Amino acid sequence: MTRPARHRRTLISAVSLAALVALWETALRVGWLPSNLVPLPSQIPGVLWAEVLDGIWLDVVLSSLSHYSIGLVIGSVLGIAVGMAAALLPRFDAAHSWLARLLRPIPPLAWIPFAIIWFGVTETAAAFIISIGVFWINYFTSYSAVRAIDDGYYEVARAFGQGGFSARLAKISLPAAAPGILGGLRAGLGQGWMTVVAAELFGIPGIGQRMMEASGLLATDVVVVYMLTIAALYALFDFLFMRIQRRVLRWQQ
Amino acid sequence: MAAMNDASAPVLTARGVRLGFADDVVLDDIDLEVAPREFVAMVGASGVGKSTLLRAFAGLLAPLRGDVHLSTAEASASRAWSMVFQAPRLFPWRRVRANVELGLEGLGLSRDERRARAMESLSLVGLEELAERWPRTLSGGQQQRVGIARALAVRPRVLFMDEPFSALDALTRQRLQSELTELRQRSDAAIVFVTHDIEEAVLLADRVVVLAKPDKAAPATVREIVTIDLPLARRREQSGFREHMQRLEQHIGVAATPEETMS
Repeated sequence: MTRPARHRRTLISAVSLAALVALWETALRVGWLPSNLVPLPSQIPGVLWAEVLDGIWLDVVLSSLSHYSIGLVIGSVLGIAVGMAAALLPRFDAAHSWLARLLRPIPPLAWIPFAIIWFGVTETAAAFIISIGVFWINYFTSYSAVRAIDDGYYEVARAFGQGGFSARLAKISLPAAAPGILGGLRAGLGQGWMTVVAAELFGIPGIGQRMMEASGLLATDVVVVYMLTIAALYALFDFLFMRIQRRVLRWQQ
Repeated sequence: MAAMNDASAPVLTARGVRLGFADDVVLDDIDLEVAPREFVAMVGASGVGKSTLLRAFAGLLAPLRGDVHLSTAEASASRAWSMVFQAPRLFPWRRVRANVELGLEGLGLSRDERRARAMESLSLVGLEELAERWPRTLSGGQQQRVGIARALAVRPRVLFMDEPFSALDALTRQRLQSELTELRQRSDAAIVFVTHDIEEAVLLADRVVVLAKPDKAAPATVREIVTIDLPLARRREQSGFREHMQRLEQHIGVAATPEETMS
């Protein structure tokens, strides 16, 4: 896209978002929409400020981030490790492939009963649920990324004395599969964040729990504050991750 | 320490080598000796098993029968053999210099020593200025030069080359052919060079091994070994060149169909 075209695109996006918010505000003010069902957009900044001043905002965000990061790290590391091992070791692949096929279609939220039985309504339970969804995404992307590596690279490695398992892993499998693995990590980043809120709706402290509390009091403005918080935090992680990704994969551009 | 090698003893000896699968033997009864610093080309119709034989010489494939002996690495921090492939097969995630360093890793060299050896090798192929570039920014000819530098960096006793110039355009190919003749004189490696191009074989090699099938159903074997006794830095128009080519064409042509011979 040329530069003026990109600017025009940004302008159109911004204008239409602003128009939607304006329409929403007007609809409530003139009574087209019942004010007990949706909050006034103009109230949102004030409500956010109040939540921040109370210290609630930071508390719930930090506690969600803590489940999220623990679940994300465990799920990603295990997913990449098991996925790569399956792609590199045919026996291991054969040994676990039926189990993987059986467990894979079970959505992370279906593990909530077991999470609560095993860990109680605790942070560990939330981290466990988050890690499951993240695991499968990373497992499958790493597996296919490693399987797709051109065999010619392994022959080069053997021809230059790098044919041992660890040399091949470090010098070929990991770097050659990096674009796929990083793509999986990024998808897991999004999937994990969506699971956080769902896991917390069951009473584990965090953004989800605060939203449930607010909805019980019909405080729709508070609900919207946290919906926007979720969106903004995700956008931030994704942006930061993309910068890292671009740096790691600079040999591709 | 590497075993002592007699200076004139062959660097590669193959005796009665059979290759392929138990029920589908591709090559049989291959005998060959390659002397130090000798340049041996292997020619033959496509599908005759030239690249397979090269891999067996290198130890990348095990023969069904017979044996291959490669002399051990002589100099310190060197390897017995290395290879240049048809496609350069550079690692796109490594810069040019790091690609050249690949074979030097694990030889007990320090980072600075590896770097110096890689730069020396890159200067042999005239690419030291591209050392910090990514492979994707190089032309096909430059990439193949890096492939040659990577192979020379380990100071091999035998350099295997598997149709290294066949994917390049004619002009680049000619330039690299004459560069290889110069490189030979600055390297101690013997070269075993697979090509389907008879002219290329006559241009570069001391001896040309013709691989062919005695008849359609039989596995291929060494039909003839032709010594090219023309002085180096050869030209296609010099006297004797055509005669060598014609002799090789006759040897290849007997059992192969015409379109297989000409490529």
